[in-house]
Amino acid sequence: MAASVRLLVRRVTRLSHGHVTVCPSGPSGPSGRCCWAPSSCRCFSDDRNTHFGFETVPEAEKAKRVYKVFENVAQNYDVMNDAMSLGIHRLWKDTLLHVMNPQPGARLLDVAGGTGDIAFRFLEYIRSQRERQRRHVARSMQALSWKDISDVYAAREGGEDGPRESRAVVCDINKEMLKVGKQKADSMDMSAGLSWVVGDAEELPFDDEQFDIYTVAFGIRNVTHIDQALQEALRVLKPGGRFMCLEFSKVRDPVLARLYDTYSFKIIPVLGEVIAGDWKSYQYLVESIRRFPDQEEFKRMIEDTGFYCVRYHNLTGGVVALHSGYKL
Amino acid sequence: MAALLRGLRAGRALRGLGGAVAAPTATNPKCSSLRRGFHCAALRLQDESKPYKPPTSSSTTYHEHYQAHSTEQDTTAASQGGAAADPAEEEASRPNTSYQDQSGEQGEEYETEEQLQARILAAALEFVPQHGWSMEAIAAGAETLGLSSASTGMFYNGAGDLVLHFIAQCNSQLTEILAEQHKHVQLGQAEPKKTADFLRDAVETRLRMYIPYIETWPQAMSILLLPHNIPDSLKHLSTLVDDIWFYAGDRSTDMNWYTKRAALTGIYNTTELVMVQDSSPDFQDTWNFLDNRIQDVVNMATTAKQAQATGEAVVQGLMGAAVTLKNLTGMNQRR
Repeated sequence: MAASVRLLVRRVTRLSHGHVTVCPSGPSGPSGRCCWAPSSCRCFSDDRNTHFGFETVPEAEKAKRVYKVFENVAQNYDVMNDAMSLGIHRLWKDTLLHVMNPQPGARLLDVAGGTGDIAFRFLEYIRSQRERQRRHVARSMQALSWKDISDVYAAREGGEDGPRESRAVVCDINKEMLKVGKQKADSMDMSAGLSWVVGDAEELPFDDEQFDIYTVAFGIRNVTHIDQALQEALRVLKPGGRFMCLEFSKVRDPVLARLYDTYSFKIIPVLGEVIAGDWKSYQYLVESIRRFPDQEEFKRMIEDTGFYCVRYHNLTGGVVALHSGYKL
Repeated sequence: MAALLRGLRAGRALRGLGGAVAAPTATNPKCSSLRRGFHCAALRLQDESKPYKPPTSSSTTYHEHYQAHSTEQDTTAASQGGAAADPAEEEASRPNTSYQDQSGEQGEEYETEEQLQARILAAALEFVPQHGWSMEAIAAGAETLGLSSASTGMFYNGAGDLVLHFIAQCNSQLTEILAEQHKHVQLGQAEPKKTADFLRDAVETRLRMYIPYIETWPQAMSILLLPHNIPDSLKHLSTLVDDIWFYAGDRSTDMNWYTKRAALTGIYNTTELVMVQDSSPDFQDTWNFLDNRIQDVVNMATTAKQAQATGEAVVQGLMGAAVTLKNLTGMNQRR
């Protein structure tokens, strides 16, 4: 057991240095069957095979299996997030919102948004911005004459309700996740300005140039063709729109990497089994993290799609990276 | 007078700080791809001019290049500006050309990101009276250009970027005006002004550019005083003062170079402060204040010269008295 874990960790650290080289596995690791393709490039498009965690599967099958995974975890998704990340995922999502700094009137598309965390935070942020603006206007109105104030009231009643309302659309391929999200929204009484749409990230059911901000938080690694998802993002964004992606990424520091790997492969699947009763899904989760390209490569992919001013911030030492690009 | 001395001391202290900060950043000719941005453009603008070297005979060409580059940055006809720019400058401002070639069309007729950012900030200036110097103004400016308000995320410094852009624009306008006047004088079409008058006119012209934004100018000044903005704002200030003295005809290469610039910095800063709380018609009080301060400096210079001359005369008189005394007592005779 110790030997196979050591093998796994060594393999994982080699992977974490950005190479997608694969090597034959030893006898059964905790994941059961690990079929490695002999060379890395065969894992992707040519043979219509792709990776599902550390397995290789036909592309057509990957989407189905991902769907099954999230169907299984939907009910306990938020609880598991808190347990696995020790609540730090809230900070990551808050950081995403702070970096985004949305202006009132912005329209958000949250893809693979599932339970709606980003969309809720977005609406809260916009609401508090609006409050601040209103307070600012009220303060500046304090020295006005009666006539000016009544003019302002007349304008406000006659015209539209202030500037455009912000809207958030949560899009997910998985109906179960959306259902959980809708329930959360209803219980938190935050349904105003939210829409829930079923859609595939590789083929979004929206017209061109509809949204100001496109976010995908911890979802893009589950997509079969990441470049197609990026193309779709470029399509639905308005000119000047922003693409933001929060995703697990490679940890640079070797000490932290070791700790992280041990935690990922030994503790998370156990938590999954104990809390959600599903070892395999969380095994898939940590493996899919390892198969995702690292920060620089993902940045290159985003630039290749046609985004400008692409930057990334490392959060928690590289465990999570926030990539951002603009459609200019 | 006391106010001027305080201003001078403050100016000298700030310049000392600026000198320590400007030196390392002056050695940054190119920017890596990750630092593409307006800050990069501002740095390059400063590198084009000569921040702390005493002006040499080739400084005219430097100044024209600086003007040409900065006017190119600030015009709204970005595509024309792009075509007219120095080819070397275009290359330097697009360090990461490979991905742009791959993605086919560049979206804005070969405009660089810095040029687009400059355009957004120029458009945002219109909304400053309404929204103040803030991200809302930048968002409104982006929207007039047809871009989504999310593009304001490109400006990490937010309001600071807007204020610094405006200051750079004012400085380049002033340099153009001074160069025009200089050309007229050289062609003999106008009389050269006395130094005091020249300084007064230059500072007045420069401060008049703030008049449309005078309501919100205190907010802008406070933004410029934020610690991460101080290096940039000091650079702009020092370039401004340097330009004014250059066109005033200063070619000094000794301690005067520093004292003159310190004096003008003090005058400029104090006049700006007077201007933001001036409520007289057409800011007449401010211009009177400016006149008085410049008069003070001129008087001080004259007084210094007089004191020096008097001192020399006194010393000579004493020497003469001593020689006479030696003669009288017979000590001067040779035996």
